Parts: sequence; structure tokens; C-alpha cells
Amino acid sequence: MSEVLTLEDQLLADFDGWLDQHYADASSLKAIKKAGAETFKSLGLPQRKSEAYKYTPITKTIEKNFDIETVENASTLTKSDCEAKFYNEEDANHLVFINGIFVDDYSKIVSGSSDLTIRVLDEQSINEHPELKDNLGKVNGSQIDPFAALNLAYFNQGVFIKSAKNADNKNTYIYQFLDASASQAVIFPRVFVYGSTGSRTRVYEKTFFNGDNNTLNISIVESMVEANAEVRFTKLQNYETNSYAVEGIYAHQAKDSRFYTNTFSFEGAVIRNNVYINIDAENCEGHMNGLYQLSGKSHVDNNTSVDHLKPHSYSNELYKGILDDHSRGVFNGKIYVRPDAQKTNAFQSNNNILLSDDATINTKPQLEIWADDVQCSHGCTTGQLDEDAIFYLQARGVNKPQAKALLLNAFANEALNELQNDLMKEEIEEIILNKLK
Amino acid sequence: MLKIENLHASVEGKQILKGINLEVKAGEVHAIMGPNGSGKSTLASVLAGREEYEVTEGSVTFLNDDLLELAPEERAHAGIFLAFQYPIEIPGVSTTNFLKTAVNQTREARGLKAFDAVSFLKEMKEKMKLVDIDQALLSRALNEGFSGGEKKRNEIFQMAMLEPKLSILDETDSGLDIDALKIVADGVNKLKGPDNASIVVTHYQRLLDYIVPDFVHVLYKGRIVKSGDKTLALELEEKGYDWIKEEVAAL
Repeated sequence: MSEVLTLEDQLLADFDGWLDQHYADASSLKAIKKAGAETFKSLGLPQRKSEAYKYTPITKTIEKNFDIETVENASTLTKSDCEAKFYNEEDANHLVFINGIFVDDYSKIVSGSSDLTIRVLDEQSINEHPELKDNLGKVNGSQIDPFAALNLAYFNQGVFIKSAKNADNKNTYIYQFLDASASQAVIFPRVFVYGSTGSRTRVYEKTFFNGDNNTLNISIVESMVEANAEVRFTKLQNYETNSYAVEGIYAHQAKDSRFYTNTFSFEGAVIRNNVYINIDAENCEGHMNGLYQLSGKSHVDNNTSVDHLKPHSYSNELYKGILDDHSRGVFNGKIYVRPDAQKTNAFQSNNNILLSDDATINTKPQLEIWADDVQCSHGCTTGQLDEDAIFYLQARGVNKPQAKALLLNAFANEALNELQNDLMKEEIEEIILNKLK
Repeated sequence: MLKIENLHASVEGKQILKGINLEVKAGEVHAIMGPNGSGKSTLASVLAGREEYEVTEGSVTFLNDDLLELAPEERAHAGIFLAFQYPIEIPGVSTTNFLKTAVNQTREARGLKAFDAVSFLKEMKEKMKLVDIDQALLSRALNEGFSGGEKKRNEIFQMAMLEPKLSILDETDSGLDIDALKIVADGVNKLKGPDNASIVVTHYQRLLDYIVPDFVHVLYKGRIVKSGDKTLALELEEKGYDWIKEEVAAL
């Protein structure tokens, strides 16, 4: 009688052989990756009763939609295929990932190395950069999620981005190409962003698809934001109906620092975003914004947390959802204010508009406050479009679809407030409007 | 221009209009007065095409078209303008932005070329002078946090921009002090011409000192029970509505 392999077993079946093939025994990365696999094994995938994945039965979903053994991750994309998708911004860095692997040759880097280091995240860069070696896989509890641990085990050639002290850097774009033309693709991109003291780093990531097979993107971003530094990380997730993803952003903030994330999600079979910020110093600002505009059977789950460990910091979170057809949105926002974190200001809101009777939103704000002198607020709203407002606009000559689009666009736009990139902003505004047509 | 015949309408099964007959010709100003709950605002809403109101009987023709067949925006394109009693606040949409869409869709429906950004702004500047409205107000979210007077002035400004043939002013005077009332009335009078007409719905005679009607109709229990010239409004102001109610009861 043959034993039925669990999904964990399947995922790790070839791991040892793969690791030996890619990493020398004495390498630092091999040890880190082995530890990642061990962590993954001990954590196991989320099961049916997992609180963290309550509305997103991710393990069952992967079992049902992926045949792990047949995955090849082969790609025929050429340099010019990728370049054709670059944003039209000459004076910016354009980084290409194909099926989770950073392709240095296809990328275009304009920043000088005295301002911005962009390196393949590999054995060499690890050994040259202690700030990377010491923190990889450890930023803000990024080892406690099984998918983060699995990524640590399997990532191969991620990217390391480091802003030099006081450097105000140009935009860096990351293009994630998922090529599922030969077989299903299961990929593990990893990005490490290090903002040195007083620096500014702006990273914008966008996803592209090639081929019709299912894709699973298990992606991790770690970011260390040093004193008085600013890091902005924005994701434009333009997923397809057969895309699956678990993406994590883990940030750690030192004093006087600012961290901004924006997550814009349009469609996807099952997309889970984990965004966790650790504010471990005074006078920090942490911002998390997001928009999900879904139709069909799309499912997007945003799981966020901001942990205030020290006094006098500020966090703000705004997620907005527009849900049509049978789509489902999930929002979970945790705010922790630890005993030492007096004078914390923490705000959160999640607003949703349901355009169909069959759309669902599960929203759960969670505040845990141990300090007594703080200002915290949270709120979530769910509703339909205001019929009176639609009639008012119609009565002035605006047709009904356009009236709805005006109202929804106004609703969605608030989630774009922290996006300081006009190219991406215009693109997103266009996506929003096109989807409303 | 507008011909209402035996119009009956209900909302949520409750009959509100019970046989309205009214004809409005180009160049005329008609005032519709009446006590609370007589159906004045319902009539305005039915003419503008509000979906909650169901027309159960009768007809409305506007410039030879069956008005009741048209969607609200098509009525606007045909030349109907309803100034709301309570203009809706719409966060995130500026007056300028929304009005550009509204004006251009209307122009296209009327067979005119849509304004480009420059000519739209020029048009706006002209009409802003007409109703004495501030640019800053128009850049803000539509009616959001506006005072009562600002909201009504914005209504009249939109009316100026859309150049309607028939304007229906639903209780435009409610919540206005006398200065705001004068400004609003002044705007309406400037827009008056031989080719357009107005229906002024009001509870009080006060507004009619500034917008002088050619005809005054009293609406009571869903019907027009009395019509006359502007002296009827003065009579109502002096005697109240009770004598009308008594007259109707005596029938």
C-alpha cells in the first residue's frame, strides 16, 4: 500500500538534491536554506482550522490546483520580451525576475553603486554584506509563516537592494514575469531592501504572465529601514483568473524612519498578502495602503499587522475594496501597542463597496493595546453605491455607467494617496476605470 | 413645451399624485405651491425620472417626446433640469470634474461638439460670474461640507452650465437666508429667456418676490386645485392654505 504524500512532503521531496546541486556544503546560504526547510517542516502548512488563514483555505487550494511533481518553471522569455514591458522611465532601475529568479542580464540599472547597490542575492553578496547575512530570513518574524519559510528554503537568486547612507535614490522597478507556457509555474522570488541611515528607497513591483497554466507565486520582501530612512514598496498585482499567490512583506523600522507599502490587487484565483511592520523605535511612521477591485470568482486576502513596540510612533492603514460578481475580499488588520509604546497614534480603516449580491467581504480589525496613553482608531464599512448620488449625477446628464464609475473612482482614489509615482498611478487609474466599464 | 395630462404616481404603493394636468409653454414661469405633503416634490422627482416613483396613469410630453420613456440622463439631455431641494454630497468628486462629464455628455447628445479642457474652463468662468460662485468651491468635493446657500448656488451654477430648456426648482428657497435667496433668484432670472421655461416649486411666497411667476398653481392632495396669476401667491401668503383646504373639502 502506497502512502499518500502530504503537500509538505511533495514540496520538499526534491529539496535536498536541489540544494546540493546549487549550493556548496560550506556556503552560508546552504545553512540558511536548510534552516528554512526545517522551519517549514515544523510549522507545516495552514490547516483547516488555522486562524491566520481562516477565510483562505490555501493548502487545500494548492493541493487541488497544482501538480507539484510536474512543475518545470522553464521559460523562453527573451531580454527584449521583458524590456518591452518596462515603464517608460529612462532614469530608473528596471529589474527583471523570471519565474522567481532575478535575471541580472535582462535588467537595466542606472543608479551609481555609491548610491544604490543592486546585487543578486546569492552567496557572494551575503558574504560581502553583513547587514544582509545577519537579517536574511529574520526580519520581523518572517520565519513564523510557513510560506515565508518555504521561500527561504527555495528562493534562488533573489535581489538585494541597498540604499547608501543619505542617498535619495531613483525609482527601482521590479518586473515579476511568471512564465507558465511549458508547465505550471511555482516560484519563490525574494527581495531584500536595506535602507541605510537617512536614505530614501522607492521600489515598484509589477507582475506579468506568459502561458495558460496555473501559477503559484510564493514571494517574500524583507526590508530593514534604518534611522531616519524612508522605504516605499508598492505592488501592482494584476493577476489572472488562474493565478495563485502568497506574498509577504516584512519590515523592521529603526528610529525616525518611514515605511510605506501600497498593494493594488486586481483579480486572481486566490491571492494572499501578508504585510507586517515592526515599529521598534521612537518617532517612526508606518503606512499600509491597499486597494482590491475584484470580479468573477477572484479572491484576495490582505492580512496585515503593525506592531508598536516603542513610544511616539504613528501608523496609518487604509484598505479599500470594490467587489463585483462572486468575488471575495478578506481583510484582517492587527494593531499591537505594547506596554512601552506610550503616545502611539495608530489608525486603521477598511471600506468596501459590494456591487453584487453574490460578492463577499470578511473584514476583521484587531486591536491589542497594552499602553494607556495612546490614540487608536479603527473602522470598517461595507455598503452599496449610494442610489441618491447616482440619480443626482444622472439628473445632470451623466449616464448611469459613467455615474457609477465616477463614484467608484472617487472611492478608490483615496487608496492611491500615498502612491508617489505618476506613471503607476495613471496606469492604476486606467485599470480601475476599465474594470468599471 | 411640457404637457402633463392626468398624471398619477405612487411611491411604495402609496398614491401621491392623483391626476395632474399642467401645460408649460416656452418663456413662462410657473409656480407650484401647496402645503407640506401635497405632492410638490413628488411631481418634481417624477419629471426628473426618479426610479422609486411609479407612474400609474397619465402622460407627460416634453417637446413632443414621451418624457416618461426616457432615462434620467436622457431627460437631462433633452433639456430638463431639476435643482434639488437637498443637493447630494458626493465625496471625492469635484464639481469641475463631474460637470465636465455631464456637460460633454449633454452636448454630444444634443449634437454639439464636446468641450476641450480650454473651452470648458472658459465656459465655466463665464457662468461662474453669472451666479457669483467661487472657483475654490468648485474644486472641492461636490457639495461636501457646503453651507445651505453654497449648495443652492452650486445647483444654479450647474443649471447655467447645462443650459436647460425647462428648469424645475424644487424648494430652492428652503434653508436660505434672504441674501442667498436674492443671489440664487438673480441667477435664475439671468438665465431666463424666451426659449426656456421654469417650474418653481415652493412652500412660501417669499421666493416669488424675486422670481416672478406668470402662473401660480396650488397643489393639494395630489391635484392642482387652483390656478391663477401671481396675486394668488400673495393671497396664500396672507391667508395661509386653510381656505384652499376648506374649498376642496366643500366640493
